[in-house]
Amino acid sequence: MVSMEIRFSGSGGQGLLLSARILAAALTAQGRNVAQSNAYEPVSRGGLSRSDLVISDGEADFPLARRLDYMLVLDEAAAGASVPLLTPQSLVLCDAERVQTVPQGAFRTLSLPFTETARGLGNPRVTNIVALGALSALGQVCAPEPLLDSVLAMTPSKLARLNRDAFAAGLQMGETEPA
Amino acid sequence: MTATRRNLEGNEACALGAIRAGCRFFAGYPITPSSEVAEVMARELPKVGGTFIQMEDEIASMGAVIGASMGGVKAMTATSGPGFSLKQENLGYACGSEIPCVVVNVMRGGPSTGMPTRPAQGDIMQTRWGTHGDHAIIVLAPASVSEAYSETIRAVELSETLRVPVVVLLDEVIGHLTETVDLAAVPEAPEVWRKFAQGPADAFEPYAVTEDLVPPMAYPGDGYRAHCTGLTHAPGGFPTQVPAVAAAAVQRTTDKLTLHRDRIESWRVQDVDDADLLICAIGISARAARQAVRDLRAEGVKVGLFRPVTLWPFPEDALRALVAKSGTQTVLVPEMNQGQLALEVERVLAGQARVQGLFKIDGQAITPDEIAEAAKEALA
Repeated sequence: MVSMEIRFSGSGGQGLLLSARILAAALTAQGRNVAQSNAYEPVSRGGLSRSDLVISDGEADFPLARRLDYMLVLDEAAAGASVPLLTPQSLVLCDAERVQTVPQGAFRTLSLPFTETARGLGNPRVTNIVALGALSALGQVCAPEPLLDSVLAMTPSKLARLNRDAFAAGLQMGETEPA
Repeated sequence: MTATRRNLEGNEACALGAIRAGCRFFAGYPITPSSEVAEVMARELPKVGGTFIQMEDEIASMGAVIGASMGGVKAMTATSGPGFSLKQENLGYACGSEIPCVVVNVMRGGPSTGMPTRPAQGDIMQTRWGTHGDHAIIVLAPASVSEAYSETIRAVELSETLRVPVVVLLDEVIGHLTETVDLAAVPEAPEVWRKFAQGPADAFEPYAVTEDLVPPMAYPGDGYRAHCTGLTHAPGGFPTQVPAVAAAAVQRTTDKLTLHRDRIESWRVQDVDDADLLICAIGISARAARQAVRDLRAEGVKVGLFRPVTLWPFPEDALRALVAKSGTQTVLVPEMNQGQLALEVERVLAGQARVQGLFKIDGQAITPDEIAEAAKEALA
């Protein structure tokens, strides 16, 4: 049975597919079954990009997203695209800087400074890792330790410190957000 | 949980399954959405002593695969609609001269170059009748990543043991889907090979009529005389137009599949015994149907699913028996085309039940909700 659906969305080049793969690997290591599907446009950077995880015990009947529990939006390009899949239980995390049109509806939305935090750490390319940290703190998705292990296992070792800092910053951002 | 559990993409699973089954040659011309099969083969084949060639085009890829197989190596290629169209002439040669080979076709939107990154299921009839003339061919249609692995293994085995080209037919969703799979779930088994020629070389006939209708194949260098042609040929391998001999030659290749049908046909069922409505689907449409059946059953609506894993030859006796047993009046066929599988289901049932289609050609997968709605309407 499907237990959780998560969408990573934004613009091509933001590391959305990688973020989903990192979370998928962490969940698989904990015995969960994961189905990941991606959609992107035929351009090398930019364009609407998304990666979905459908998490289940055993093989999911239908491996594509139907009702999102969590959605990350890292770019304006993806702001409106997924609203029909949101429910009153959904939690939407938007990048405060790059998403101007925050999705509106009967679901919870938070605008968080992912890009700004990553830039503060010296590299906006770890925005996705900051967001993963925040997702870990705010959602019932995956405990921080195994998720960080997965981040470090699936990213270049020369960037380990930066990714570790980015994940910690995201975690703290999520923990300080009022529930 | 075992250490062999991993997240794998459908296309990747095809490549790894082929290698596991002993495939040691891949020639291809990368095309979306099948390119990952070639990528993984390029990376993995050299590690096991195999050969990967990126060819100059689709036609040459199919030719190279046939040549490799005639050379005594298990061989595969992968493509999508436009490439599959180009391969038809050589695929026909492989059918006519009974050369074992596997072609992975990952369906995208069509016709022509269509929608390269969007899913479709428009090649259902092409996989059966794409090449001209009466011919035997097997088509397997996995609906999950784990099945992409196990069915590609089966494709290699059927192709080898029956001397017939086998198409592994995925849609873009299954090809690009990543799922958690346990590769160790496929039990270890001895590697399967075609029958090679044995005994006195003088008496060898490359297309001998044997009891199992599968002629032994000459292994190059073993001293057996082999002649291979796309022209209709007598058991000796040379062209013939003698009416009785020509008819028998074509007839044997199709009888061969009929004789071994029990081993070729494969299907899965879900909640069929008391079904008022039966859904018949393949690939991602079957996964949507699986969910729809679960959702509808929870509402008390009696629906079931018949999923052909072997698409061609279509497991027709199984479907007929199932419809007869359950007394199902309606069969719903959701597919991402304008109605191809529905035609075959209509042919098979021939009035035994009403066949209702749910067709979608917009580059989006059919959803469980769409199937559930169509099922309810059909039952109303």
